Amino acid sequence: MKRRTVLKSSAAALAVPMVGASRAQSPTTVRWWYHFDNPQASPASLIAKFEGENPGIKVQAESIPWGGGNDYYTRLYAALVAGNAPDCAMVKLGNQSRLLQMKALAPLDDLLAGWAARRDISENLWKMHRAPDGRNYYVPLQYVVLYLYYRADLFAAAGVQPPRTFDDFLKAAQAVQKGGVSAFGMRGGGGGHDHWGSFVLGAGANFEPGGMVSARALEANRWFVELGTKHKLFPISAPTDGFRQIVDNFKAGRTAMTIHHIGSANEMVQALGDKVSAVPVPVGADGKGWTSFGDESNAVFAASKVKEAAFKWVAFLSTGEHNVAFNAFTGQLTVTDSGASKWNLHPKRFVDATAASTALMGTLPNSTKTADFTRTVWPQQMQRALLGQTTPDAMMQAFERHFHG
Amino acid sequence: MRSRPVEPLLFLLPALLVTAAVILYPALQTVWLGLHSFVLFDPDSMRFVGLGNFSAIVADELFWISLSNSVIWVVCAVGLQFALGLVTALLLNQTFAGRSLARALVVVPWALPSVIIGLMWTWMYDLNLGVFNDLLMRVGLIDAPVAWLAQPGTALAAVILALVWQGFPFFAVMILAGLQTIPSEHYEAAAMDGASRWQTLRFVTLPALREVIATALLLRTIWVANSLDVILVMTGGGPGYETHTLPLYAFLKAYSAMEFGYASALSLVLTLLLLGAVAFYVRRVARQALA
Repeated sequence: MKRRTVLKSSAAALAVPMVGASRAQSPTTVRWWYHFDNPQASPASLIAKFEGENPGIKVQAESIPWGGGNDYYTRLYAALVAGNAPDCAMVKLGNQSRLLQMKALAPLDDLLAGWAARRDISENLWKMHRAPDGRNYYVPLQYVVLYLYYRADLFAAAGVQPPRTFDDFLKAAQAVQKGGVSAFGMRGGGGGHDHWGSFVLGAGANFEPGGMVSARALEANRWFVELGTKHKLFPISAPTDGFRQIVDNFKAGRTAMTIHHIGSANEMVQALGDKVSAVPVPVGADGKGWTSFGDESNAVFAASKVKEAAFKWVAFLSTGEHNVAFNAFTGQLTVTDSGASKWNLHPKRFVDATAASTALMGTLPNSTKTADFTRTVWPQQMQRALLGQTTPDAMMQAFERHFHG
Repeated sequence: MRSRPVEPLLFLLPALLVTAAVILYPALQTVWLGLHSFVLFDPDSMRFVGLGNFSAIVADELFWISLSNSVIWVVCAVGLQFALGLVTALLLNQTFAGRSLARALVVVPWALPSVIIGLMWTWMYDLNLGVFNDLLMRVGLIDAPVAWLAQPGTALAAVILALVWQGFPFFAVMILAGLQTIPSEHYEAAAMDGASRWQTLRFVTLPALREVIATALLLRTIWVANSLDVILVMTGGGPGYETHTLPLYAFLKAYSAMEFGYASALSLVLTLLLLGAVAFYVRRVARQALA
């Protein structure tokens, strides 16, 4: 028995330096989680290029099902709690607060200071991605800004211009609503908070304490809900319509306007050609408005043992031509100034509408409550309001309670 | 006195260990979590709350709405699946050309993944492109397309219909198997007594199928009561709370709000409610085994 123990100990003692030597020679492996809407897209070519330029680093890319964001983040949180998280992953601002609360994120300020290409990303974007504690945990990767799609031919036939203000919107909507064409393809299912936000946050509601139940906020919400309940400007399927329905209804000519971003522009043009165009979402008479900034970044996790290598990889993805190549997979916009100057992946009018919308762009609060708000609370309350099961004011009170108790 | 042989236990041990690992441990962990306030993104603040989650459930309006929807969901879905399955089995038990093909095809809905079924039926119900609206308008039953999944009066019924389509083959196959065990002499005796078709079904076929039907109903009730995938894909519980069932509520609490403690408590309540059905089923199986 003793001899066996001695043998085992000796074998273990011998094995330790061998493992150490093997580690010294083998490349560092960076585990990276990503999600693409298009399952055919693969980052393999970018990984090959990165590994060619960084022979000491291997990237193990793991495609994680998105599932409307829910599947992805549930897996990420569970992996973080279980201690099996990747070294870095694609993340959105809406989840930064939860990740910070878990102490899961590694601050990147020191590494960013030594990365020359950081200046190719605008200071405005860095500012939007900065955490409430003033530190940088995210490296911007891609973005979109929501704008208003409109049917140029239907507007011309009705003799109206695309709307600039909320008042214009109502007048134009009433003018283009005819027969089987609903004026506005409203998204009442998951993700529809962006539509609501353009009109209600744009008109003065906000997520500060009391911001959902102020007189301005309540009035704006009543106005928006009545577009459906009183003016009947939404399709009757609006309460449960999701992304696919609003895009398909618009492409099929059953709605004259809807709100989405440049990610769907090529699909819209393929179906409608020059009949489709875009403008920024409407604003109030005072020129103030709000549109959703759809972000995607990479973060390096605090538990990673290869933070520098992981940072090299995420920095590579956010650098010039690599970032453009990455966005060719996702259909979104590059975060780099150099990439934007040569952008040719979308028709110019949609790039222009996006650029013109940046003045209005905002994000939902960096709160642990936000993800549940967008996934469950907002759709339930909005649907009930559209169906007359709750009042617009009660809907806003529910939002206020969700965030502030 | 002979000692008890240990070999059977040793052979059973691997299966018991696996069962303990994949069923007993998660079940006990669910009970443990149900007694705690535990939010997945805030694991450091986990605290014991005793029965606090359960008292919150009693006062939770959405729980009662979900429970009410669950009762409608189970009764209608299982009842209609059974009725359709019984008719299908009786038809497939007849002799006709292409019977083998029909028997094979009828299993297709059961074999399809729930997510595919949810997506397929969502598009069939679609306001603009759906086949239902197209057909009903062509035959003149409706004047304008109906938003089946977006209206309070139709959403739950529409999702139930999709689940009926998915689940009726289970009953059909079970009952068909049962039909083939009924001795032909019973039918011959009924015919000699001058029994009508309805009387033959009522007094010969159904009594002979009693055990099969009871087992199938119990199993399907448990499965349907626990199922949420088709609802999640088709409506996400909406519009509003119209298709919000108890398992869906627990799922959303866990995976949207990340409130794993409260979600575990909801799951335990659902488990307790189903325990009656499970106990009944186990008693039946035990009785059959002893008979």
